[in-house]
Amino acid sequence: MNKTLIIQNEISELNRVAAFIEEIGEELHLSPALVMNLNLVLEEAVSNIILYAYPKKMGQEITINIHKHDQMLVFTLTDEGVEFDPTKAGEVDVTLSSEERPIGGLGIFLIKKIMNEVEYQRIDGTNVFTLKKEIKE
Amino acid sequence: MNAEINVTAEQTIVVISGRIDTTNVQEFDKKLKPVFEQKPARLVLDCAQLEYISSSGLRVFLILQKTVMAYNGSLVLRAMRPEIKEVFDMTGFSSIFTLE
Repeated sequence: MNKTLIIQNEISELNRVAAFIEEIGEELHLSPALVMNLNLVLEEAVSNIILYAYPKKMGQEITINIHKHDQMLVFTLTDEGVEFDPTKAGEVDVTLSSEERPIGGLGIFLIKKIMNEVEYQRIDGTNVFTLKKEIKE
Repeated sequence: MNAEINVTAEQTIVVISGRIDTTNVQEFDKKLKPVFEQKPARLVLDCAQLEYISSSGLRVFLILQKTVMAYNGSLVLRAMRPEIKEVFDMTGFSSIFTLE
């Protein structure tokens, strides 16, 4: 399987991303829990790009490719926006109480927690964010 | 996403349904604001029909918990689906909230 979705840098486009993940879930017969987790990961990763990659510039493209290699689902997100390495975001202490817990910072934490591998590269002015998830069929 | 609010003398119940994500989290926040501004002693969020929550939704839940605790109220999250519970477990939110 090899599929690509190209979206614009607008928050409403996240609905298309969700539909794309649902479609892949159905095609590969993934469990509802896994589909939800993948949806979470993609929403976090893509919303970061939508919100920060192209300051004040609308109509920019973000490409989401997914391919399956053996038991590995590989998501590749590319954009030509501002250089940003999401893997460098801070760690979250999940043992803190609600008073101590900072608001936010959960997105990248969830991505790292759910996926098996995440990798960022800057190639010729393009951000390439690769996320891998092993699936058991 | 929909949030239906039922106020009784004992408690306020908010029945949440659908998805809470980056596209509608502000709308969700807006719906909840008048609820916790009333400072109900017991606030229950019925999550049986909640299908999906992203980190932006979790952030609103965390703010709600902090707000309710600040006025010494209680917040209960009820009947969460297993896949949603998994997200709460992963993020340590299960130990922050009272789940029923």
